[in-house]
Amino acid sequence: MPDPRHFTTRRGFIAGLGFGAVSLYGAWAAYGAAPLPFGHTPSATPEPEAHGHGGSNGDSHGGHAAAAAPTADDFRLEHETFLRTYAQTDGSVDPHAASHGGARSHGHAHGASQGAPHGGHADEGHDDDGSATEPVTVFLMAQKFAYSPDLLRLKAGQAYRFRMMADDITHGASIQLGAASRIIRLRPNIISEQTITFTKPGEYLVYCTVYCGQAHDAMQGRIIIV
Amino acid sequence: MDTIPHDAPIMAGSGLTARIRTLPRPDKALLNLLFGAALLALVLGLADGLLTALARAGALTFFPDDAYRLLTVHGVSVFFYWLYLIQAALLLALAAAENSRGLALRPAAWAGAALMLAGFAVSEWISYTGTPLLYDGSPELAVDDPRSVGFFALGYLLLSAGLTASAVSGIATLLQPRRRGEAEEFGAVGFALFAWAGFLIVSAIAATNAFLPGLLWSLGAGPFPADHGTEWHILFHNLHYLPLMATVLVWYVLTRHLTGVTSIHGARLSKIVFAAYLVFVPPTSLYHMFLEPNLSEGVRVVGSLLSLFVSVPTLAAFAIIVSSLEASARAHGATGVFGWIRGLPWGNPAMANMGWAVVNMMVGLTFAFVLIQGELAPMLSDTFFVPGYFHLFAVGVLTQTFLAALMVLLPALNGGHLWRPALLARMPALVTAGLLLFAAAGIAAGTMGVPRRVFDVGYGGMAPAAWPVLMALVGIGASLFAAALSVSVYGVVRTLLSGRKLSAMELPAVDWKAGQNRIGAAPAWTGPASIAALVAAMYVFTIAAFQLIQSLPVAVIGGGHGH
Repeated sequence: MPDPRHFTTRRGFIAGLGFGAVSLYGAWAAYGAAPLPFGHTPSATPEPEAHGHGGSNGDSHGGHAAAAAPTADDFRLEHETFLRTYAQTDGSVDPHAASHGGARSHGHAHGASQGAPHGGHADEGHDDDGSATEPVTVFLMAQKFAYSPDLLRLKAGQAYRFRMMADDITHGASIQLGAASRIIRLRPNIISEQTITFTKPGEYLVYCTVYCGQAHDAMQGRIIIV
Repeated sequence: MDTIPHDAPIMAGSGLTARIRTLPRPDKALLNLLFGAALLALVLGLADGLLTALARAGALTFFPDDAYRLLTVHGVSVFFYWLYLIQAALLLALAAAENSRGLALRPAAWAGAALMLAGFAVSEWISYTGTPLLYDGSPELAVDDPRSVGFFALGYLLLSAGLTASAVSGIATLLQPRRRGEAEEFGAVGFALFAWAGFLIVSAIAATNAFLPGLLWSLGAGPFPADHGTEWHILFHNLHYLPLMATVLVWYVLTRHLTGVTSIHGARLSKIVFAAYLVFVPPTSLYHMFLEPNLSEGVRVVGSLLSLFVSVPTLAAFAIIVSSLEASARAHGATGVFGWIRGLPWGNPAMANMGWAVVNMMVGLTFAFVLIQGELAPMLSDTFFVPGYFHLFAVGVLTQTFLAALMVLLPALNGGHLWRPALLARMPALVTAGLLLFAAAGIAAGTMGVPRRVFDVGYGGMAPAAWPVLMALVGIGASLFAAALSVSVYGVVRTLLSGRKLSAMELPAVDWKAGQNRIGAAPAWTGPASIAALVAAMYVFTIAAFQLIQSLPVAVIGGGHGH
C-alpha cells in the first residue's frame, strides 16, 4: 500500500534535511577551499615549504622534511642578527637597506644555522630594485607588550617570508589591511612562517589579537609599504 | 483561510506540569536551589557583560585589569555557571518527571548541587579578585600568580565534580522505572536525557583533564600546564554542544506541553537524532584550531569538511519538530503556506521564547558556517566576528530556551503562576532585535579585524575609523537585548520567589494532537523552506567572505603553519 503521506512529511525526507548545510561544500569547492572529487585538490592557500623546527625545550613538530630543526633559540639568534643588520636610524627595520651591522647575512645565518633545505632565501641581501622573485626573509618576534621590530619598511610586490614567534606567551600578530585583517596567532617558542606579498603601498597596523595581559590593548606595530 | 481554525481545544495543563507538581518536597527544594543559583549566575553574567559591552563601546572606562576582570566574570558566569547549573537543574527536573516518582540517588543530587555551588563561589571570587584569566583560565597569563591559576582551576573542578554527581543521579532516576519493571524502553525524551547525562559526565572528565594540571602546578605538585590550550580545546567544543543538545530536548518537551504534539516520525528517529550528537560533535572540533600555527594544511581541509556536519543533529531535530507541528496543524484544518504558525500560542511567554530562539538559531548558524571554513579563519578567528555570532546562540537560542523552560516549570514546581505573562511574551522579540543589531555590528567589526578581546580599539589613530563606530553599535545592541532579557529574568525570578502568592492565570496553549491516520497527507513546506533559506544565506555570506579575503592587498602563502 503506498505511503499516504506527502513526501515533505516522510521520515527519510526529514532526516535528509538535517544534512542541508552540508551542501555549502559547493561554495567551498568553487573557491578552491575544499577538495574536488576525482583527485583534484585545489587550495587557496598552498602548502609552504617544509621546515622542521622545534621549541627551545626540544619539542619537535613532526611531519616536516628538515634534516635539522631550528629551535626557538636559533630563531632568537637569527632575529637578533636581522635587527642588527637592518636597523635604521629612525628605529625602523628595512631589509632592503644597506647593512649597518656589516653582516647582511640573516638569510645565510638562517640556512647555515639549521642546515634546512629552504631552497634558498634571498640571502644576498635584498634587491634594491624590488624585482627579486625569491622571498625576502623577515623576522618578527612578539612579546609582552610589543613587537620586535615594531616598524618594518617593505616594498609592494615583493614577497616576504615572515618568520614569526612569540617569545613569552601566546600573542597575535595580525595585520590590518583596510576592509579586513589578516589574523595571525603565535604560540610561544613555535616558529610560524607565512610568505606575504603586499600589493599596495600604505601603512599597515600590526596588532595583538590574543589577550596577553594588562597592556594587551597597547600592543601594536607598523609595516610601511612603499 | 490562512491559519488554523480557532476551535482547536485549549489545553489546561499537561503531563509535564502535573508530574512536576507531584514531586517530593526534597526534590522541589533541590530544584528551586539550582534554578535560583543558575539565575543568579545569569544575572551576574548579564550585568558584567553589559558593562563589558559599554566599555568596548567607549561609554565606560576601566583600568585594563578591571576591564578584563569584568570580561572574565561575564564569561565564567554565563558560559559555565548559568549554562551548566541550568542544565543540571533541567536534567534532574525532566528526569524526575519522566520517572514520576522523583529523584533516585537523591544524596548524589544534593552532593552535586553543593559541589557546583562551592565551585560557583570560588570561581566568582577569584574572577573578581585575581589576575584576569578570561573564561578559559589560561595559566600562561599568570605564571607569576599561581594562586589565581589554582583557585580558578579549583572552581571549575568543583563544578565538574558536581555535574558528574548530578548526572549520575539523573541517570539513576531514568533507569529506575526499567529496573522496577515499570517500563520496557526509553521514550524519545528519556533516551535524550540519558544521552545528555552521559555527555555531561564525559565533559566533566574533559574539564578535569584541562584544569587539574593547573591546580597541581599551583600547589607545587606538578609541572607548569604548558598544554592547557590543547586540553581546553577538547573541552571547549563539547561545552558548545551540550547546551545545544539540551536546548533541542527542551524544544521537544515544550512543544508537547504547549501544543500536545509529539514527533510524527516516531520515537526511533528522535533517538537516532539525539544519538547523532555523540557521533557528530567530537570529530567536528578542529575548526576552533584553524589559526594554530602547528596545524597542517591537510588537517585544516579535513577539519573544515568535518565541520560541515556539525549542524546535522540540530537541523534534523528542527525539521522533526517543525514538520510534526505543521502536519498536526494541517490535520486540524490549517491552510496557507505558513499560516499555521500564527495558530501557535504566541501569547504564552514560553512559546514566544522558544519561537524566537529558532529565529536566532537560523541567523547564528548562517554565520557559524562562515567561520568553520579553514580558508576564512585567517580573516575571522580571534576577531569580534566570534562573539558577534555566538551571542545569537548563547543568548538568543540557549538562554531564551532555558528561560522558556523555567516559565513552565517554576509555576508547576511552586504552585504559583508566571509573573505578568503578557509582558514577558513581548520580550523575546526585543531581545532578538537587540541581538540582531549586536550581531550585525559585531560581525561587521570582526570582519574588518576588530579583535575579540580588546577594549580600546583606537590603536593610537592607526585603526580604521569604522571600528569605534561599529563597537558603539555593538554597545547599543547589547544594551537593548540586556534590558529586554532583564525583564524576562526578573519575571522568572519573581515567579521563583513568589511561589503561590501570584494570582492564578491560565496561559494559552493549543491541542493539535491528532491521530496518525490524519497526519501528513498535506505538504509541509515550512521545514524545507527554512533550511533552503538557511543554506542560501550561508552561500551568500560565505561567498561574500571569500570575495573579501581575495580582495585584500596581500597574497599569502601558508596559513600560519608552525614548525
